[in-house]
Amino acid sequence: MAKIGDDVFFATIGELNARLRAKEFSAAELARAFLDRLEKLGPRFNALALLLREPALKQAKEADDEIKRGRLRGPLQGIPCGAKDLLSVAGQATTWGARPYASQVFDYDATVIEKLASARAVLIGKLAMVELAGGGGYRYAAASMFGPGLNPWDPTRWSGGSSSGSGSAVAAGLVPFAIGSETWGSILTPSSYCGVTGLRPTYGLVSRYGAMALSWTMDKIGPMCRSAEDCGLVLRVIAGGDSNDPGSAGKSFYYGPQYVRPIQELRVGFAPSDFEEWAEPAARPDLVKALEVLRGLGLPLKETQLPEFPYGAVAGLIIDVEGSAIFEPLIESGRVEELADQKQIAGLKAGLQAPAKDYLKAMRIRRLAQQELRKLMVDFDVLVAPATRGPAPKITEPLDRRSAGLAKPKSRGLSELGAAGNLAGLPALCLPAGFADGLPIALQLVGRPFTENTLLALGREFQQRSDWHRRRPPQ
Amino acid sequence: MKLTRRELGATLAAGAPLAAQAPSPQPETPAEELKAAQARLGRTTQTLSKFAVPLAAEPAFSFKA
Repeated sequence: MAKIGDDVFFATIGELNARLRAKEFSAAELARAFLDRLEKLGPRFNALALLLREPALKQAKEADDEIKRGRLRGPLQGIPCGAKDLLSVAGQATTWGARPYASQVFDYDATVIEKLASARAVLIGKLAMVELAGGGGYRYAAASMFGPGLNPWDPTRWSGGSSSGSGSAVAAGLVPFAIGSETWGSILTPSSYCGVTGLRPTYGLVSRYGAMALSWTMDKIGPMCRSAEDCGLVLRVIAGGDSNDPGSAGKSFYYGPQYVRPIQELRVGFAPSDFEEWAEPAARPDLVKALEVLRGLGLPLKETQLPEFPYGAVAGLIIDVEGSAIFEPLIESGRVEELADQKQIAGLKAGLQAPAKDYLKAMRIRRLAQQELRKLMVDFDVLVAPATRGPAPKITEPLDRRSAGLAKPKSRGLSELGAAGNLAGLPALCLPAGFADGLPIALQLVGRPFTENTLLALGREFQQRSDWHRRRPPQ
Repeated sequence: MKLTRRELGATLAAGAPLAAQAPSPQPETPAEELKAAQARLGRTTQTLSKFAVPLAAEPAFSFKA
């Protein structure tokens, strides 16, 4: 039995792949080591929804058999991973993090799960999430049947949501990578709070077939990893057209950062007020340092700001209305009362009462915002801003009260880039970018639709000149 | 749908940014919580109503045949 230590638990996909090929350990040994660790430490962070020991060991053996026969399928072959519990895995419980669905079992795999299996990645567990991905809005980190997602950097802090287990599990070295999903902030927030690298792909690039729907027009699925490079390797596998997903763009993704034009030629936009005023004071020093790392790459950073639109109100209303329509049977049955968070219950009920004219108005404003963002992105290849305002809040803190005491910046800047980017379906990469009060903070890079390679190339360069993504939480 | 710069300028001038919300007391009962959610929705509607949308602006979804 090969000895598998901490260096392995915090290794990147590329490093693990090299060691598998060098036969330092087998895929089965690697899977067993990660299964034991996820089983032991997952509950400590409320990160584990379901351990998949037997199916994982079977998948790992298949990977080993193929490697022995010289049938090499790519960098994910034999690499353990986890998936947010909104993705169906045939024959296994898929709870969507919500008590009313605790015993729900589908008889088919989500497309993303199928694609990972075809690449011979080894799915070792399903990971906890905020109930129903937080569609109705939620007040407390405890809005999940698994309890509050706890942050490996400080378990009194939240891991972020709604891909809470995916964030914690990657940060704590329980899986080398995980799949999360984002409607508005659900990959970027936990990636930022947990200090992992997360990619929100362009809307339509990754199939959502077999994933819980929260908003048909805004849901995206993406990887949460140890590096930008790993995000590219995973996206290469999970992206692609799918006739089962009506929102599918029918596009493939080939990871090729080397084919992006020279980094120094990329036009990057930023707003000083995001870093000097919008970000919490404790986060400002390292965020400014991270911006300097980008400047050090020879990038011309130019000031800009978002076109003026009520992004938050538009995104909020669309999610409220689509989410409430999706969960209407739950609401009408009365079982919505079994959810953990009172604000979520009320939000879902209220969303059913929103008039159609308001939804359509939001969708019409969304069209205008998309057009204006497209014009802005003619001048910029990438927009950069803090991923979140500050580090993870305490799990007892009401999440909707956090920014109440913070001053509003004088300039609009890019502070609503989260809502704007999700409304327009733009890709975003979250890069660990320092610490505030000992907790991770991050930058987000946002690009034009289907320019993931540009974001990943820039992310890779940034991570070659910084080591924040390599830091490990205390054991 | 395309808009001219002038149309868009008129639209944006009519639009109002989200006002900063002063924190209100935490709802304590499910009924208060529902009332608060309805009030939030009402505030959103108000924000959107201040934003003039040109007649030609179509909703941002498309269906494939």
